[in-house]
Amino acid sequence: MKNRNLTFYLLTLVAMSLLSCKNEGEYHSITDKIEAKQKPYHGNLSSEELLADTDLITVKEGEFTFLIPERKGQIKSYACIECHSKPLEQMSNSSFDGKRAHWDIKINHASIETMDCATCHNPKNMNNLNSLTGKDIDFNLSYKLCAQCHSSQFEDWKGGAHGKKVAGWAPPRASMTCVNCHNPHNPSFDKRWPVQFNTQKVIERQEGLDGAEEH
Amino acid sequence: MSDNKKWYTLDLGLNKKKSTSSSCGCGNSQGSCTSQAQQTKEEELSADEFYERAVNAAIGDERKKDGFEQVFDVKMDRRDAFKKLTASLLIGAGAVSSCTSITKDSDSKEKAQIDWEEQFKGNYKLMTDDEKKSTVDRLMRSYELRTGKNINMSSKNAEEDVLFGYAFNISKCQGYMNCVSACVEENNQDRNSQMQYIRIHEMDDGKGFNFNEADDNYYHEVPAEGHFYMGTQCFHCDNPPCVDVCPVQATWKEEDGLVVIDYDWCVGCRYCMAACPYDGRRFNWSKPEVPENEVNKNQHYLGNRMRKKGVMEKCTFCVQRSRKGKNPACVEACPTGARIFGNLLDPKSTIRWVLENKKVFRLKEDLGTEPKFWYFMD
Repeated sequence: MKNRNLTFYLLTLVAMSLLSCKNEGEYHSITDKIEAKQKPYHGNLSSEELLADTDLITVKEGEFTFLIPERKGQIKSYACIECHSKPLEQMSNSSFDGKRAHWDIKINHASIETMDCATCHNPKNMNNLNSLTGKDIDFNLSYKLCAQCHSSQFEDWKGGAHGKKVAGWAPPRASMTCVNCHNPHNPSFDKRWPVQFNTQKVIERQEGLDGAEEH
Repeated sequence: MSDNKKWYTLDLGLNKKKSTSSSCGCGNSQGSCTSQAQQTKEEELSADEFYERAVNAAIGDERKKDGFEQVFDVKMDRRDAFKKLTASLLIGAGAVSSCTSITKDSDSKEKAQIDWEEQFKGNYKLMTDDEKKSTVDRLMRSYELRTGKNINMSSKNAEEDVLFGYAFNISKCQGYMNCVSACVEENNQDRNSQMQYIRIHEMDDGKGFNFNEADDNYYHEVPAEGHFYMGTQCFHCDNPPCVDVCPVQATWKEEDGLVVIDYDWCVGCRYCMAACPYDGRRFNWSKPEVPENEVNKNQHYLGNRMRKKGVMEKCTFCVQRSRKGKNPACVEACPTGARIFGNLLDPKSTIRWVLENKKVFRLKEDLGTEPKFWYFMD
Protein backbone atom coordinates (compact mmCIF):
# COMPACT_ATOMS: atom_id res chain seq x y z
CA MET A 1 0.00 0.00 0.00
CA LYS A 2 2.67 2.45 1.05
CA ASN A 3 4.83 1.48 -1.90
CA ARG A 4 2.00 1.98 -4.32
CA ASN A 5 1.40 5.44 -2.99
CA LEU A 6 5.06 6.26 -3.31
CA THR A 7 5.18 5.09 -6.91
CA PHE A 8 2.09 7.10 -7.66
CA TYR A 9 3.65 10.27 -6.23
CA LEU A 10 6.86 9.69 -8.12
CA LEU A 11 4.99 9.20 -11.36
CA THR A 12 2.98 12.37 -10.87
CA LEU A 13 6.18 14.24 -10.10
CA VAL A 14 7.76 13.06 -13.34
CA ALA A 15 4.63 13.87 -15.29
CA MET A 16 4.45 17.32 -13.73
CA SER A 17 8.05 18.11 -14.52
CA LEU A 18 7.45 17.10 -18.12
CA LEU A 19 4.29 19.18 -18.38
CA SER A 20 5.93 22.23 -16.92
CA CYS A 21 8.24 22.48 -19.92
CA LYS A 22 5.97 25.17 -21.28
CA ASN A 23 6.37 27.21 -24.39
CA GLU A 24 8.26 30.00 -22.67
CA GLY A 25 11.59 28.82 -23.98
CA GLU A 26 10.31 28.77 -27.52
CA TYR A 27 12.15 31.95 -28.42
CA HIS A 28 15.59 32.90 -27.34
CA SER A 29 14.83 36.61 -27.22
CA ILE A 30 12.08 39.08 -27.89
CA THR A 31 13.61 39.92 -31.27
CA ASP A 32 13.36 36.26 -32.26
CA LYS A 33 9.78 36.22 -31.14
CA ILE A 34 8.95 39.35 -33.12
CA GLU A 35 10.62 37.93 -36.20
CA ALA A 36 8.79 34.63 -35.93
CA LYS A 37 5.34 36.01 -35.23
CA GLN A 38 5.36 39.19 -37.28
CA LYS A 39 2.71 39.88 -39.88
CA PRO A 40 1.19 43.05 -41.30
CA TYR A 41 -1.64 44.13 -39.06
CA HIS A 42 -5.11 43.83 -40.51
CA GLY A 43 -6.90 43.39 -37.22
CA ASN A 44 -10.03 44.91 -35.76
CA LEU A 45 -8.40 48.02 -34.42
CA SER A 46 -8.09 51.11 -36.53
CA SER A 47 -7.29 54.75 -35.92
CA GLU A 48 -9.84 55.86 -38.48
CA GLU A 49 -12.47 56.75 -35.91
CA LEU A 50 -9.95 58.72 -33.85
CA LEU A 51 -8.85 60.59 -36.96
CA ALA A 52 -12.36 61.35 -38.16
CA ASP A 53 -12.35 64.91 -36.83
CA THR A 54 -8.96 65.82 -38.28
CA ASP A 55 -8.56 67.11 -41.81
CA LEU A 56 -5.77 64.97 -43.28
CA ILE A 57 -3.91 64.64 -46.54
CA THR A 58 -1.95 61.65 -47.81
CA VAL A 59 1.74 62.04 -48.53
CA LYS A 60 4.05 59.61 -50.23
CA GLU A 61 7.77 59.93 -49.49
CA GLY A 62 9.95 57.14 -50.79
CA GLU A 63 8.64 53.85 -49.46
CA PHE A 64 6.42 55.56 -46.89
CA THR A 65 2.82 56.54 -47.42
CA PHE A 66 1.01 58.15 -44.51
CA LEU A 67 -1.33 60.96 -43.50
CA ILE A 68 -0.44 64.40 -42.22
CA PRO A 69 -2.77 67.20 -41.05
CA GLU A 70 -3.93 69.60 -43.70
CA ARG A 71 -2.34 73.01 -43.14
CA LYS A 72 -3.85 75.70 -45.31
CA GLY A 73 -7.23 75.51 -43.57
CA GLN A 74 -5.46 76.10 -40.24
CA ILE A 75 -3.66 79.29 -41.28
CA LYS A 76 -5.93 82.13 -40.23
CA SER A 77 -4.97 84.59 -42.96
CA TYR A 78 -4.72 82.12 -45.82
CA ALA A 79 -5.08 82.73 -48.76
CA CYS A 80 -2.24 85.20 -48.59
CA ILE A 81 -3.07 86.86 -51.89
CA GLU A 82 -6.23 88.28 -50.36
CA CYS A 83 -3.90 90.96 -48.99
CA HIS A 84 -0.74 90.33 -51.01
CA SER A 85 -2.40 91.19 -54.29
CA LYS A 86 0.77 92.77 -55.68
CA PRO A 87 4.46 91.83 -55.39
CA LEU A 88 5.88 92.79 -52.00
CA GLU A 89 8.09 95.68 -53.18
CA GLN A 90 5.07 97.46 -54.60
CA MET A 91 3.21 97.02 -51.33
CA SER A 92 5.89 98.29 -48.96
CA ASN A 93 5.33 101.74 -47.65
CA SER A 94 8.18 103.10 -45.57
CA SER A 95 6.23 106.21 -44.56
CA PHE A 96 3.57 104.12 -42.75
CA ASP A 97 4.23 104.08 -38.99
CA GLY A 98 1.10 102.35 -37.59
CA LYS A 99 0.97 98.73 -36.55
CA ARG A 100 1.86 96.54 -39.49
CA ALA A 101 0.49 93.17 -40.43
CA HIS A 102 2.67 90.24 -39.14
CA TRP A 103 4.11 92.59 -36.48
CA ASP A 104 4.22 89.65 -34.09
CA ILE A 105 6.51 87.51 -36.20
CA LYS A 106 10.15 87.53 -35.14
CA ILE A 107 12.50 85.19 -36.87
CA ASN A 108 14.57 83.11 -34.51
CA HIS A 109 15.66 80.43 -36.93
CA ALA A 110 19.30 80.08 -37.96
CA SER A 111 21.43 83.18 -38.48
CA ILE A 112 20.57 86.02 -40.80
CA GLU A 113 23.44 84.97 -43.12
CA THR A 114 21.67 81.66 -43.62
CA MET A 115 18.04 82.61 -43.64
CA ASP A 116 15.65 85.47 -44.04
CA CYS A 117 11.95 85.71 -44.95
CA ALA A 118 12.64 85.14 -48.61
CA THR A 119 14.38 81.80 -47.93
CA CYS A 120 10.95 80.28 -47.48
CA HIS A 121 8.50 82.87 -48.80
CA ASN A 122 8.32 84.12 -52.36
CA PRO A 123 7.62 87.87 -52.33
CA LYS A 124 6.13 87.56 -55.80
CA ASN A 125 3.85 84.64 -54.95
CA MET A 126 2.84 84.63 -51.29
CA ASN A 127 0.34 81.79 -51.69
CA ASN A 128 3.10 79.21 -51.97
CA LEU A 129 6.34 78.54 -50.18
CA ASN A 130 9.61 78.81 -51.98
CA SER A 131 12.35 76.16 -52.23
CA LEU A 132 16.06 77.01 -52.21
CA THR A 133 16.07 76.76 -55.96
CA GLY A 134 13.01 78.97 -56.34
CA LYS A 135 10.43 76.24 -56.95
CA ASP A 136 6.95 76.45 -55.45
CA ILE A 137 6.14 74.33 -52.39
CA ASP A 138 2.55 74.00 -51.31
CA PHE A 139 1.78 75.15 -47.74
CA ASN A 140 0.29 71.72 -47.08
CA LEU A 141 3.64 70.11 -47.90
CA SER A 142 5.80 72.51 -45.92
CA TYR A 143 7.90 69.57 -44.62
CA LYS A 144 9.63 69.57 -48.01
CA LEU A 145 10.91 73.03 -47.21
CA CYS A 146 12.27 71.97 -43.80
CA ALA A 147 13.80 68.80 -45.29
CA GLN A 148 16.11 70.90 -47.47
CA CYS A 149 18.35 71.55 -44.47
CA HIS A 150 17.12 69.12 -41.80
CA SER A 151 17.73 65.98 -43.77
CA SER A 152 18.42 63.62 -40.87
CA GLN A 153 15.29 64.77 -39.05
CA PHE A 154 13.42 64.24 -42.30
CA GLU A 155 14.63 60.63 -42.51
CA ASP A 156 13.60 59.98 -38.91
CA TRP A 157 10.25 61.65 -39.44
CA LYS A 158 9.45 59.56 -42.49
CA GLY A 159 10.23 56.35 -40.63
CA GLY A 160 8.40 57.49 -37.52
CA ALA A 161 11.27 58.08 -35.08
CA HIS A 162 10.83 61.87 -35.06
CA GLY A 163 7.53 63.57 -34.33
CA LYS A 164 4.26 62.45 -32.88
CA LYS A 165 1.38 60.46 -34.23
CA VAL A 166 -1.88 62.34 -34.59
CA ALA A 167 -3.99 59.75 -32.79
CA GLY A 168 -3.47 56.07 -32.01
CA TRP A 169 -0.90 53.40 -32.80
CA ALA A 170 -3.26 51.40 -35.01
CA PRO A 171 -3.16 51.86 -38.77
CA PRO A 172 -3.66 54.00 -40.77
CA ARG A 173 -0.62 55.98 -39.74
CA ALA A 174 -1.16 59.71 -39.33
CA SER A 175 1.86 61.74 -38.22
CA MET A 176 2.16 65.36 -37.23
CA THR A 177 4.06 67.42 -39.74
CA CYS A 178 6.96 69.73 -38.75
CA VAL A 179 4.88 72.88 -38.23
CA ASN A 180 2.38 71.13 -35.95
CA CYS A 181 5.00 71.10 -33.19
CA HIS A 182 7.61 73.66 -34.30
CA ASN A 183 6.82 77.29 -34.97
CA PRO A 184 8.67 77.73 -38.28
CA HIS A 185 9.72 81.26 -37.31
CA ASN A 186 10.99 80.12 -33.90
CA PRO A 187 11.38 76.37 -34.09
CA SER A 188 13.19 75.39 -30.90
CA PHE A 189 11.34 74.52 -27.69
CA ASP A 190 11.49 76.95 -24.78
CA LYS A 191 12.82 76.30 -21.34
CA ARG A 192 10.02 76.00 -18.84
CA TRP A 193 9.09 74.62 -15.45
CA PRO A 194 8.13 70.97 -15.21
CA VAL A 195 4.39 70.47 -14.78
CA GLN A 196 4.89 68.17 -11.79
CA PHE A 197 6.65 68.29 -8.48
CA ASN A 198 6.22 65.44 -6.05
CA THR A 199 6.18 66.94 -2.54
CA GLN A 200 5.40 63.56 -1.02
CA LYS A 201 8.60 62.10 -2.45
CA VAL A 202 10.57 64.91 -0.81
CA ILE A 203 9.06 64.06 2.58
CA GLU A 204 9.69 60.36 2.12
CA ARG A 205 13.31 60.98 1.24
CA GLN A 206 13.83 63.28 4.19
CA GLU A 207 12.48 60.59 6.46
CA GLY A 208 14.65 58.00 4.76
CA LEU A 209 11.62 55.97 3.76
CA ASP A 210 12.63 55.76 0.15
CA GLY A 211 15.56 53.41 0.05
CA ALA A 212 15.61 53.12 -3.70
CA GLU A 213 17.51 56.31 -4.28
CA GLU A 214 19.91 58.01 -1.96
CA HIS A 215 21.54 61.29 -2.70
CA MET B 1 -26.80 35.79 -13.68
CA SER B 2 -25.83 32.46 -15.06
CA ASP B 3 -26.25 29.35 -13.01
CA ASN B 4 -22.83 27.86 -13.63
CA LYS B 5 -20.77 30.57 -12.03
CA LYS B 6 -17.55 29.68 -10.31
CA TRP B 7 -17.94 31.77 -7.20
CA TYR B 8 -19.91 30.80 -4.20
CA THR B 9 -23.28 32.40 -3.78
CA LEU B 10 -25.10 32.73 -0.52
CA ASP B 11 -28.77 32.28 -1.20
CA LEU B 12 -30.36 35.27 0.47
CA GLY B 13 -33.63 34.70 -1.28
CA LEU B 14 -32.87 37.70 -3.49
CA ASN B 15 -33.34 35.81 -6.71
CA LYS B 16 -36.99 35.53 -5.96
CA LYS B 17 -37.47 39.24 -6.08
CA LYS B 18 -38.15 39.21 -9.80
CA SER B 19 -41.31 37.24 -9.36
CA THR B 20 -42.55 39.07 -6.32
CA SER B 21 -41.16 42.54 -7.05
CA SER B 22 -39.77 42.77 -3.57
CA SER B 23 -36.16 42.65 -2.58
CA CYS B 24 -35.87 41.24 0.90
CA GLY B 25 -36.28 37.60 1.65
CA CYS B 26 -39.50 38.43 3.38
CA GLY B 27 -40.88 40.37 0.46
CA ASN B 28 -40.52 43.68 2.17
CA SER B 29 -38.13 46.24 0.80
CA GLN B 30 -38.56 48.63 3.72
CA GLY B 31 -39.05 47.93 7.38
CA SER B 32 -38.61 44.90 9.49
CA CYS B 33 -39.06 41.45 8.09
CA THR B 34 -40.46 39.93 11.25
CA SER B 35 -43.18 42.47 11.77
CA GLN B 36 -44.96 41.35 8.65
CA ALA B 37 -43.84 37.78 8.50
CA GLN B 38 -47.38 36.53 8.63
CA GLN B 39 -48.25 38.19 5.36
CA THR B 40 -45.46 36.58 3.37
CA LYS B 41 -46.30 34.09 0.70
CA GLU B 42 -45.21 30.52 1.06
CA GLU B 43 -42.17 30.72 -1.18
CA GLU B 44 -40.78 33.67 0.73
CA LEU B 45 -38.77 33.36 3.87
CA SER B 46 -39.35 34.57 7.35
CA ALA B 47 -36.38 35.92 9.24
CA ASP B 48 -35.98 32.65 11.06
CA GLU B 49 -36.05 30.63 7.87
CA PHE B 50 -33.60 33.02 6.34
CA TYR B 51 -31.25 32.61 9.25
CA GLU B 52 -31.61 28.87 8.98
CA ARG B 53 -30.73 28.95 5.31
CA ALA B 54 -27.79 31.28 5.80
CA VAL B 55 -26.34 29.07 8.46
CA ASN B 56 -26.92 26.06 6.27
CA ALA B 57 -25.14 27.66 3.37
CA ALA B 58 -22.23 28.53 5.56
CA ILE B 59 -21.60 25.48 7.67
CA GLY B 60 -24.04 22.96 6.26
CA ASP B 61 -23.73 19.54 7.69
CA GLU B 62 -20.92 20.36 10.09
CA ARG B 63 -23.70 21.45 12.40
CA LYS B 64 -24.76 17.93 12.97
CA LYS B 65 -21.34 16.93 14.15
CA ASP B 66 -19.19 18.42 16.81
CA GLY B 67 -15.69 18.68 18.14
CA PHE B 68 -13.04 16.52 16.51
CA GLU B 69 -15.50 15.13 13.98
CA GLN B 70 -16.54 18.52 12.75
CA VAL B 71 -13.01 19.63 12.10
CA PHE B 72 -11.48 16.51 10.65
CA ASP B 73 -14.26 14.43 9.24
CA VAL B 74 -15.35 16.81 6.51
CA LYS B 75 -14.63 16.37 2.86
CA MET B 76 -13.47 19.67 1.51
CA ASP B 77 -10.48 21.16 -0.17
CA ARG B 78 -8.68 24.23 1.01
CA ARG B 79 -10.69 26.57 -1.12
CA ASP B 80 -13.97 25.20 0.18
CA ALA B 81 -12.74 25.45 3.71
CA PHE B 82 -11.81 29.07 3.21
CA LYS B 83 -15.16 29.85 1.62
CA LYS B 84 -17.06 28.32 4.46
CA LEU B 85 -14.97 30.01 7.07
CA THR B 86 -15.47 33.42 5.50
CA ALA B 87 -19.12 32.71 4.98
CA SER B 88 -19.67 32.05 8.62
CA LEU B 89 -17.83 35.19 9.54
CA LEU B 90 -19.97 37.20 7.19
CA ILE B 91 -23.11 35.78 8.62
CA GLY B 92 -22.11 37.11 11.97
CA ALA B 93 -21.28 40.52 10.59
CA GLY B 94 -22.46 41.84 7.28
CA ALA B 95 -24.90 39.67 5.46
CA VAL B 96 -27.49 39.13 8.15
CA SER B 97 -27.51 42.66 9.41
CA SER B 98 -27.96 44.10 5.96
CA CYS B 99 -30.78 41.80 5.00
CA THR B 100 -32.87 41.68 8.10
CA SER B 101 -32.26 45.06 9.64
CA ILE B 102 -35.04 47.56 9.80
CA THR B 103 -33.32 50.51 8.20
CA LYS B 104 -31.49 49.05 5.13
CA ASP B 105 -33.22 49.33 1.78
CA SER B 106 -33.02 47.26 -1.37
CA ASP B 107 -29.90 49.08 -2.57
CA SER B 108 -27.87 47.97 0.38
CA LYS B 109 -29.07 44.43 -0.15
CA GLU B 110 -27.94 44.57 -3.73
CA LYS B 111 -24.67 46.02 -2.51
CA ALA B 112 -24.29 43.13 -0.11
CA GLN B 113 -25.03 40.67 -2.88
CA ILE B 114 -22.47 42.32 -5.17
CA ASP B 115 -19.86 42.37 -2.41
CA TRP B 116 -20.56 38.74 -1.75
CA GLU B 117 -20.10 37.70 -5.35
CA GLU B 118 -17.02 39.89 -5.72
CA GLN B 119 -15.56 38.33 -2.61
CA PHE B 120 -15.74 34.84 -4.05
CA LYS B 121 -15.03 35.44 -7.70
CA GLY B 122 -12.07 33.71 -9.29
CA ASN B 123 -8.76 34.98 -10.64
CA TYR B 124 -9.40 37.20 -13.65
CA LYS B 125 -6.77 35.30 -15.62
CA LEU B 126 -8.86 32.13 -15.40
CA MET B 127 -12.25 33.70 -16.08
CA THR B 128 -14.25 33.04 -19.21
CA ASP B 129 -15.32 36.07 -21.21
CA ASP B 130 -18.78 35.87 -19.65
CA GLU B 131 -17.34 35.85 -16.18
CA LYS B 132 -15.11 38.80 -17.03
CA LYS B 133 -18.14 40.65 -18.26
CA SER B 134 -20.20 39.92 -15.17
CA THR B 135 -17.44 41.05 -12.85
CA VAL B 136 -17.06 44.40 -14.63
CA ASP B 137 -20.86 44.73 -14.67
CA ARG B 138 -20.91 44.15 -10.93
CA LEU B 139 -18.14 46.66 -10.37
CA MET B 140 -19.90 49.29 -12.47
CA ARG B 141 -23.16 48.70 -10.60
CA SER B 142 -21.35 48.79 -7.30
CA TYR B 143 -19.81 52.17 -8.16
CA GLU B 144 -23.23 53.46 -9.16
CA LEU B 145 -24.78 52.28 -5.91
CA ARG B 146 -22.03 53.80 -3.84
CA THR B 147 -21.51 57.14 -5.57
CA GLY B 148 -24.58 57.65 -7.74
CA LYS B 149 -22.24 58.12 -10.72
CA ASN B 150 -21.74 55.87 -13.69
CA ILE B 151 -18.42 54.53 -14.90
CA ASN B 152 -17.61 52.58 -18.01
CA MET B 153 -15.44 49.55 -17.34
CA SER B 154 -14.14 47.29 -20.08
CA SER B 155 -12.96 43.70 -19.94
CA LYS B 156 -11.60 43.78 -23.49
CA ASN B 157 -9.12 40.99 -24.18
CA ALA B 158 -5.85 41.25 -26.07
CA GLU B 159 -6.17 41.64 -29.84
CA GLU B 160 -4.66 39.01 -32.08
CA ASP B 161 -1.40 39.77 -33.88
CA VAL B 162 -0.60 42.59 -31.50
CA LEU B 163 2.45 42.83 -29.26
CA PHE B 164 2.91 46.22 -27.68
CA GLY B 165 6.29 47.90 -27.56
CA TYR B 166 7.65 51.29 -26.63
CA ALA B 167 10.61 53.42 -27.64
CA PHE B 168 11.97 56.44 -25.82
CA ASN B 169 14.13 59.07 -27.49
CA ILE B 170 16.69 60.31 -24.97
CA SER B 171 17.76 63.17 -27.23
CA LYS B 172 14.25 64.54 -27.40
CA CYS B 173 13.10 64.37 -23.77
CA GLN B 174 13.38 67.82 -22.17
CA GLY B 175 12.15 66.85 -18.71
CA TYR B 176 8.85 68.77 -18.85
CA MET B 177 7.02 65.87 -17.11
CA ASN B 178 3.78 66.31 -19.05
CA CYS B 179 3.79 62.51 -19.32
CA VAL B 180 3.80 62.12 -15.55
CA SER B 181 0.78 64.29 -14.96
CA ALA B 182 -1.14 62.84 -17.91
CA CYS B 183 -0.47 59.38 -16.51
CA VAL B 184 -1.74 60.28 -13.05
CA GLU B 185 -4.93 61.78 -14.48
CA GLU B 186 -5.53 58.90 -16.85
CA ASN B 187 -4.87 56.10 -14.42
CA ASN B 188 -6.59 57.37 -11.27
CA GLN B 189 -3.49 57.15 -9.11
CA ASP B 190 -3.74 58.03 -5.45
CA ARG B 191 -3.49 61.78 -5.03
CA ASN B 192 -2.63 61.69 -1.32
CA SER B 193 0.57 59.71 -1.65
CA GLN B 194 1.19 61.31 -5.07
CA MET B 195 1.81 57.97 -6.66
CA GLN B 196 3.44 58.16 -10.08
CA TYR B 197 4.22 55.32 -12.46
CA ILE B 198 6.68 57.31 -14.58
CA ARG B 199 9.93 58.69 -13.28
CA ILE B 200 11.93 61.21 -15.29
CA HIS B 201 15.58 61.11 -14.32
CA GLU B 202 17.76 64.17 -14.67
CA MET B 203 21.22 62.88 -15.52
CA ASP B 204 24.52 64.73 -15.65
CA ASP B 205 26.00 65.07 -19.12
CA GLY B 206 29.15 63.02 -19.48
CA LYS B 207 28.36 60.55 -16.71
CA GLY B 208 26.16 58.21 -18.69
CA PHE B 209 23.30 56.44 -17.01
CA ASN B 210 24.25 57.06 -13.44
CA PHE B 211 21.04 56.43 -11.54
CA ASN B 212 22.76 56.91 -8.19
CA GLU B 213 23.50 60.51 -8.97
CA ALA B 214 20.42 61.20 -11.03
CA ASP B 215 17.53 63.24 -9.68
CA ASP B 216 13.99 62.10 -10.43
CA ASN B 217 12.28 64.86 -8.46
CA TYR B 218 13.80 68.08 -9.74
CA TYR B 219 11.98 71.38 -9.75
CA HIS B 220 13.66 74.06 -11.79
CA GLU B 221 13.50 75.29 -15.35
CA VAL B 222 14.16 72.49 -17.82
CA PRO B 223 16.07 71.45 -19.76
CA ALA B 224 18.78 72.42 -17.26
CA GLU B 225 22.25 73.20 -18.54
CA GLY B 226 24.57 70.18 -18.55
CA HIS B 227 21.84 67.58 -18.09
CA PHE B 228 19.87 65.11 -20.09
CA TYR B 229 16.59 63.42 -19.28
CA MET B 230 15.29 59.89 -19.52
CA GLY B 231 12.12 58.26 -18.29
CA THR B 232 11.50 54.90 -16.69
CA GLN B 233 8.24 53.07 -16.00
CA CYS B 234 7.08 49.47 -16.26
CA PHE B 235 8.90 47.98 -19.24
CA HIS B 236 6.45 45.11 -19.75
CA CYS B 237 9.26 42.59 -19.92
CA ASP B 238 8.79 39.56 -22.12
CA ASN B 239 10.40 37.53 -19.35
CA PRO B 240 9.03 39.37 -16.33
CA PRO B 241 10.60 38.45 -12.97
CA CYS B 242 7.68 40.07 -11.14
CA VAL B 243 5.31 37.49 -12.61
CA ASP B 244 7.53 34.58 -11.61
CA VAL B 245 7.67 35.56 -7.96
CA CYS B 246 3.97 36.23 -7.41
CA PRO B 247 2.80 33.55 -4.96
CA VAL B 248 -0.88 33.84 -5.97
CA GLN B 249 -0.55 34.47 -9.72
CA ALA B 250 -2.22 37.83 -9.40
CA THR B 251 0.08 39.26 -12.06
CA TRP B 252 0.75 37.83 -15.49
CA LYS B 253 1.67 38.63 -19.07
CA GLU B 254 -1.23 39.00 -21.48
CA GLU B 255 -1.16 37.83 -25.11
CA ASP B 256 -0.43 41.36 -26.34
CA GLY B 257 2.58 41.54 -24.04
CA LEU B 258 1.08 43.71 -21.32
CA VAL B 259 2.06 42.70 -17.81
CA VAL B 260 -1.08 43.22 -15.77
CA ILE B 261 -2.36 42.81 -12.21
CA ASP B 262 -5.70 41.54 -10.92
CA TYR B 263 -6.11 44.02 -8.06
CA ASP B 264 -8.75 41.78 -6.52
CA TRP B 265 -6.47 38.75 -6.45
CA CYS B 266 -3.35 40.52 -5.21
CA VAL B 267 -2.55 39.80 -1.57
CA GLY B 268 -0.10 42.68 -1.26
CA CYS B 269 3.03 40.70 -0.40
CA ARG B 270 5.16 43.03 -2.58
CA TYR B 271 7.41 40.22 -3.81
CA CYS B 272 6.97 41.62 -7.32
CA MET B 273 8.10 45.02 -6.16
CA ALA B 274 11.30 43.47 -4.86
CA ALA B 275 11.77 41.36 -7.97
CA CYS B 276 11.45 44.21 -10.47
CA PRO B 277 14.93 45.48 -11.39
CA TYR B 278 13.49 48.71 -12.77
CA ASP B 279 11.39 50.03 -9.88
CA GLY B 280 8.34 49.72 -12.07
CA ARG B 281 5.85 48.68 -9.42
CA ARG B 282 3.98 50.70 -6.82
CA PHE B 283 2.20 49.71 -3.63
CA ASN B 284 -0.88 51.27 -2.07
CA TRP B 285 0.08 51.87 1.54
CA SER B 286 -3.19 53.70 2.08
CA LYS B 287 -6.58 53.72 0.41
CA PRO B 288 -6.09 55.43 -2.95
CA GLU B 289 -8.19 58.55 -3.22
CA VAL B 290 -9.13 60.58 -6.26
CA PRO B 291 -11.57 63.52 -6.11
CA GLU B 292 -14.83 62.44 -7.71
CA ASN B 293 -14.64 65.07 -10.46
CA GLU B 294 -11.13 63.96 -11.40
CA VAL B 295 -11.90 60.24 -11.70
CA ASN B 296 -11.30 58.96 -15.21
CA LYS B 297 -14.46 57.02 -15.84
CA ASN B 298 -13.24 55.18 -18.91
CA GLN B 299 -11.75 52.19 -17.19
CA HIS B 300 -10.50 48.70 -17.77
CA TYR B 301 -10.54 45.89 -15.22
CA LEU B 302 -6.80 45.38 -15.62
CA GLY B 303 -6.04 49.07 -15.94
CA ASN B 304 -7.16 52.27 -14.31
CA ARG B 305 -10.15 51.12 -12.26
CA MET B 306 -10.02 52.22 -8.66
CA ARG B 307 -7.59 50.21 -6.58
CA LYS B 308 -7.80 49.47 -2.90
CA LYS B 309 -5.45 49.66 0.03
CA GLY B 310 -2.75 47.02 0.16
CA VAL B 311 -2.48 46.04 -3.51
CA MET B 312 0.16 46.54 -6.16
CA GLU B 313 -0.29 48.61 -9.25
CA LYS B 314 1.83 49.88 -12.13
CA CYS B 315 1.88 51.16 -15.67
CA THR B 316 -0.25 49.02 -18.00
CA PHE B 317 0.63 50.94 -21.20
CA CYS B 318 -2.87 52.36 -20.53
CA VAL B 319 -4.62 49.08 -21.36
CA GLN B 320 -7.95 50.93 -21.41
CA ARG B 321 -6.60 53.04 -24.27
CA SER B 322 -4.15 50.81 -26.11
CA ARG B 323 -6.65 47.99 -26.60
CA LYS B 324 -8.87 50.49 -28.38
CA GLY B 325 -6.10 51.50 -30.77
CA LYS B 326 -5.16 54.68 -28.91
CA ASN B 327 -1.73 55.61 -27.67
CA PRO B 328 -1.01 55.56 -23.93
CA ALA B 329 -1.63 58.88 -22.18
CA CYS B 330 2.11 59.57 -21.76
CA VAL B 331 2.70 59.21 -25.51
CA GLU B 332 -0.18 61.52 -26.28
CA ALA B 333 0.91 64.10 -23.69
CA CYS B 334 4.60 64.26 -24.61
CA PRO B 335 5.22 67.68 -26.20
CA THR B 336 8.53 66.67 -27.76
CA GLY B 337 7.61 63.41 -29.50
CA ALA B 338 10.16 61.50 -27.44
CA ARG B 339 7.75 58.64 -26.85
CA ILE B 340 6.85 56.11 -29.54
CA PHE B 341 4.35 53.31 -29.08
CA GLY B 342 3.13 50.61 -31.39
CA ASN B 343 2.67 47.05 -32.51
CA LEU B 344 5.93 45.13 -32.59
CA LEU B 345 4.47 42.41 -34.80
CA ASP B 346 3.48 44.80 -37.58
CA PRO B 347 6.52 45.22 -39.88
CA LYS B 348 5.06 48.48 -41.13
CA SER B 349 4.67 50.08 -37.71
CA THR B 350 6.78 53.07 -36.72
CA ILE B 351 8.11 51.30 -33.62
CA ARG B 352 9.55 48.61 -35.88
CA TRP B 353 11.24 51.24 -38.01
CA VAL B 354 12.82 52.68 -34.89
CA LEU B 355 14.07 49.28 -33.75
CA GLU B 356 15.51 48.48 -37.15
CA ASN B 357 16.99 51.86 -38.06
CA LYS B 358 18.06 53.57 -34.85
CA LYS B 359 20.69 52.42 -32.41
CA VAL B 360 18.50 51.07 -29.65
CA PHE B 361 19.26 49.58 -26.27
CA ARG B 362 17.42 48.54 -23.16
CA LEU B 363 18.16 48.93 -19.47
CA LYS B 364 19.95 46.06 -17.72
CA GLU B 365 19.72 43.94 -20.84
CA ASP B 366 22.09 41.41 -19.28
CA LEU B 367 19.45 40.33 -16.78
CA GLY B 368 17.53 38.58 -19.54
CA THR B 369 14.26 40.25 -18.59
CA GLU B 370 13.67 41.20 -22.24
CA PRO B 371 11.97 44.57 -21.68
CA LYS B 372 9.72 45.75 -24.50
CA PHE B 373 10.89 49.30 -23.87
CA TRP B 374 13.81 50.55 -25.94
CA TYR B 375 15.88 53.73 -25.67
CA PHE B 376 17.43 55.48 -28.63
CA MET B 377 19.03 58.75 -29.64
CA ASP B 378 18.70 60.96 -32.69
